[in-house]
Amino acid sequence: MIIEVLLVEDSYGDVRLTREAFRDANQSVHLNVASDGVEATAFLKRFGAHVHAPRPELILLDLNLPKMDGREVLAQIKNDDSLKAIPTVILTTSDAEADILKTYRLQANCYLTKPAQWDAFESMVKSIHDFWLTKGKFAQQGSRV
Amino acid sequence: MAIEVLLVEDSPGDVRLTQEAFRGANTSVHLHVASDGVDAMAFLRHEGSHGSAPRPDLILLDLNLPKMDGREVLAKIKGDDNLKTIPTVILTTSDAEVDIVKSYQLQANCYLSKPVQLDEFETLVKSINDFWLTKVKLPQQKSCA
Amino acid sequence: MKNKFPLDRKIKLAFGSAILTLLVVGVISHHAMAVSSESDRWVRHTHEVLEHLEDLLGSMQGLESSARGFVLTGKESYLETYRASISRSEQEKTIVANLIVDNPTQQREIPILERLAARKIQLADTVITLRKTTGLEAAVDAIQNGEGQRIMEDYREVIREMEDEEQRLLVLRDANAKRRLDQTRGVLILGTLLGLFVAVAAGWTVQRDSSQRLFAEESLRESEERYRMLLDGVEDYAIYVMDPQGQILSWNAGAERIKGYSAEEIIGHNFSCFFPPEDIERGRPEEVLRITAASGRHEEQSMRVRKDGSQFLASVTFTALRDSAGNLRGFSEFSHDLSESEESGAKYRGLLEAAPDAMVVVNQAGEIVLLNVQAEKQFGYRRDELVGQKVKNIIPEGFAERLIADETRTAAEALAQQIGTGIELIGRRKDGSDFPIEIMLSPLESAEGILVTAAIRNISVRKEAEKHLAQMEGRYRGLLEAAPDAMVVVNQGGEIVLLNVQAEKKFGYHRDELVGQKLKNIIPEGFAERLIADALRSDEDALAQQIGTGIELIGRRKDGSDFPIEIMLSPLESAEGVLVTAAIRDISVRKEAEKHLAQMEGRYRGLLEAAPDAMVVVNQGGEIVLLNVQAEKQFGYRRDELLGQKVKNIIPEGFAERLVADALRSVEDALAQQIGTGIELTARRKDGSEFPIELMLSPLKSSEGTLVTAAIRDIATRKKAEANLLQKVEELNRSNEELGQFAYIASHDLQEPLRMVASYTQLLSRRYKGKLDSDADEFISFAVDGASRMQRLIQDLLAYSRVGTKGRELLDTSSEEAFQQALINLRGSVQQSGALVTHDPLPAVLADETQLIQLFQNLVGNAIKYQKSGIPRVHVSAARNGGNKWTFSVQDNGLGIDPLYFERIFGMFQRLHKREEFEGTGIGLAICKKIVERHGGNISVESQPGQGSTFRFLLAGNEKKS
Repeated sequence: MIIEVLLVEDSYGDVRLTREAFRDANQSVHLNVASDGVEATAFLKRFGAHVHAPRPELILLDLNLPKMDGREVLAQIKNDDSLKAIPTVILTTSDAEADILKTYRLQANCYLTKPAQWDAFESMVKSIHDFWLTKGKFAQQGSRV
Repeated sequence: MAIEVLLVEDSPGDVRLTQEAFRGANTSVHLHVASDGVDAMAFLRHEGSHGSAPRPDLILLDLNLPKMDGREVLAKIKGDDNLKTIPTVILTTSDAEVDIVKSYQLQANCYLSKPVQLDEFETLVKSINDFWLTKVKLPQQKSCA
Repeated sequence: MKNKFPLDRKIKLAFGSAILTLLVVGVISHHAMAVSSESDRWVRHTHEVLEHLEDLLGSMQGLESSARGFVLTGKESYLETYRASISRSEQEKTIVANLIVDNPTQQREIPILERLAARKIQLADTVITLRKTTGLEAAVDAIQNGEGQRIMEDYREVIREMEDEEQRLLVLRDANAKRRLDQTRGVLILGTLLGLFVAVAAGWTVQRDSSQRLFAEESLRESEERYRMLLDGVEDYAIYVMDPQGQILSWNAGAERIKGYSAEEIIGHNFSCFFPPEDIERGRPEEVLRITAASGRHEEQSMRVRKDGSQFLASVTFTALRDSAGNLRGFSEFSHDLSESEESGAKYRGLLEAAPDAMVVVNQAGEIVLLNVQAEKQFGYRRDELVGQKVKNIIPEGFAERLIADETRTAAEALAQQIGTGIELIGRRKDGSDFPIEIMLSPLESAEGILVTAAIRNISVRKEAEKHLAQMEGRYRGLLEAAPDAMVVVNQGGEIVLLNVQAEKKFGYHRDELVGQKLKNIIPEGFAERLIADALRSDEDALAQQIGTGIELIGRRKDGSDFPIEIMLSPLESAEGVLVTAAIRDISVRKEAEKHLAQMEGRYRGLLEAAPDAMVVVNQGGEIVLLNVQAEKQFGYRRDELLGQKVKNIIPEGFAERLVADALRSVEDALAQQIGTGIELTARRKDGSEFPIELMLSPLKSSEGTLVTAAIRDIATRKKAEANLLQKVEELNRSNEELGQFAYIASHDLQEPLRMVASYTQLLSRRYKGKLDSDADEFISFAVDGASRMQRLIQDLLAYSRVGTKGRELLDTSSEEAFQQALINLRGSVQQSGALVTHDPLPAVLADETQLIQLFQNLVGNAIKYQKSGIPRVHVSAARNGGNKWTFSVQDNGLGIDPLYFERIFGMFQRLHKREEFEGTGIGLAICKKIVERHGGNISVESQPGQGSTFRFLLAGNEKKS
């Protein structure tokens, strides 16, 4: 059973890293990528080209995005009744207190800082996988929610 | 530095288990217990006997509580500007779809189902500790700890 | 004064009452006379009685004296007298008795008289005897004794009483009679007075009426007098009255002056003598009377002849005189000599000026003598430029010639030929331009002779219109030719005036063979008749009734063969009047089709009867046109009770509405939407009971249009079964839900304490292992084991119940993917055992993915688990099983199963091995069975101990994919 994850990340390198890490952890994970806030929103709301987009069980959201900023994407998600139940994990470079607080205030499910090194990053992704996709419980087939 | 964790759980057995599990996972964890929703809110709001209660870094919340049900506690926490930034992890026996969805809708940060087996339980608590108390960036306290 | 009764009735009444009164008076008089005669009688009677009473007394006295006489004398003669007296007194007594027979009072006296008389006679006899015997002195002594005298006095007394009585009675009767007479007299007087009064009243009324009449007659006479004076006073106008035949009844001074006849000369003659001889020959006078009688009034200007033979132009008005009942009583004529009248001339000129058309008056020489302002305008001349000019100047050709008398006819005749007819000519204006005109001529008799008044109308517009019309006709002709159908244009006489090439072909004629011919030649019956105006309707009406409707008739070709046609008529206005355009279509093919259809209908009817379901055929009006015997039975009607009835009577709602064409769709569309679909409705039997039916509709083309055949099936049983089923399903659902709830609650609530037990016993075992004695260790391990197993059992139970309660919709699922996932889930045990799991391509099936994974997982897991030693080999394959079904096989090289247990192993918590040998709760296969059965399939096993097992299960594939 495929697990849909939406990764909102503009850095291609990070995308690649994440994909590798997930593949290692669980081949059933299908990583969808949006490279900016607008695309992310369109994907989630199934606009335009994304009309057949799957509903992700987990959103990994970077804060620093072109076009539409990650905080705004977060706000959009958490203000939309049909999207706010999707666990949204902030995965970003910043560890600024202001950012952390702001995002928790916006009801981000949790905040993670991207480690600089590869193996730490991989380990982080694996923990995410371990915690969220193995132990954490989700509503099945979110679209039925 | 002590990590303050508020466990809202009415089953003394489960309380003890959790304590044991945390003891095995992370000795810095300071586990506070509220055995019902009313007590939990009083603790969080520093009311009554909890006048000098510390602000928890993490709340582990069971759904099935006497007096005030866990869902209501969750709603109250997430409705309180002051409290909503505290990561609240649902840790309950139910794995019913409706509970999962409702909790996420109410902006629970995460939903975990208590395993029946002891070792699994211990592993889960370890994961909680590992993920939430090690990896995840938690919002800082307003006042100095 | 209003008279309620007509005069003669009054007179009758008067006379009647008079007569009546007389009668009454007569009766009363008669009565009075009777009364008086009666009273006369009574007087006579009384006198008679008195007389006889005196006679009686006289006779008694006579008796006495004769007896005494004898006594004195002794003479025999006295004895004779004596005896005579006795007999006389007897007589008298009898008479009196008779006379008073009606009076009982008087009658009582008679016996007294008799006694007295007898006594006296006795005495007398004694005395006589004494004398005879003894002598005188003895007899005288006897007499002087006095009894005889006394008796006489008594007798006399009685008589007197009787006489008094009679007198008294007389007086009474007299008074009575007098009274009655008085009464009668009174009545008589009254009656006479009444009679008199009635007679007077009648006479007065009659008098009054006749005086009224006299008065009316008088006033009539007076007005007549006045009128006559008036008439006489009029000298300018001849006014006279004729009878219905034209005989002159009255004459006035004017008539005398104008016509020259005096009243005595002319009254009684016929008025036709005033007409010129040629008019009399032509019957003009009678004609005039006829016209006047018909229309009530007739005016004319014509020539009249005077007494001296001279003629003059007169303006004459005839009026019909009718009485109050409307009967013709005669005519009045009022005329005057036009030649005298300046006024009339002026009036005429006035009329001329006011006329809307140009008017020109021309004399016999063709010169214009009079014209009006319109003429000035039309021709662009001034009046004086035209008066006296030849009319040729403005109407170059065609007018003047018409008027000239030549050898063949007089001017009058020439004129007569032109009068009235609208003649189309060309008028020429002053500026030389020509324009089309229509002239209407009428004669005008004048002192100068006969003039012609010409009304000239500018018809340029009309000419334009006619030209336009001709153009249209030309175009129309073109259209006609091009029309695909045969087209024929017919005039009101039923003759063909126009036809097109199609018509030529259809009927096999050449065009000129048909033009001018009667339409009847090609359409023998049905067309011409339709167009003829008859007493009932005008052409237009006749036509209007036929326009548009497609009429089926028979057409006849030149070769005499007939063929069926349909004609569509439309009117066509033309200069020749209203024509009829007929589009003629050869419908032989259609007729064939109709015949064929009728045949099919016949066959269809047969099928209908034989059908097992109730069949009803309905027309577009929602009426039942056909039904079969099944329908009769189903609905409890007889056939004739349903034919022609609205289908609503047996299917109240849902059927008729579906068929009705409305603004949104035609009948065909409506029908097309309903065809085939089994529609569930409610039907009603004759007895009013309702029952559920299923309708299947199909269209039926017939000559009457599109009909709908409805097959009606009574689905009451089915409905009941469905209802039953629904109920059962509901029950099942409910019980399932309950079960699910139960299972959930049971497991959930049981888990909690169980978890405590299990966890703490484990903690106990962990922390205190080795710290307590070995018994304690063993005890704890049993406890831990027990708790764990309990947990697993409950989890398995929950899993089992969830197969039903948490089962999802069966969707198109890749069993290949499900299998792969199951393998992933079994990764651990696969690796551990080193099992080789192979598979054939697996198909797409209708399944709940989660459960399918579970199924594969359980079966493959079992295959791996139940092994001796060695490498477990498992092979999964699927084979098509007829149509859309797949039989999956999970084959292993494991321990195998004794056929004895083939059934049991699928039971709940059934194990074939000890716990020490193989773990497991024994619910795995039960879950598999439940899953497979939920998918509509079945599961079975083929095995021999020691030879591995093959588990087979059936699943349905997706219908849409092959």
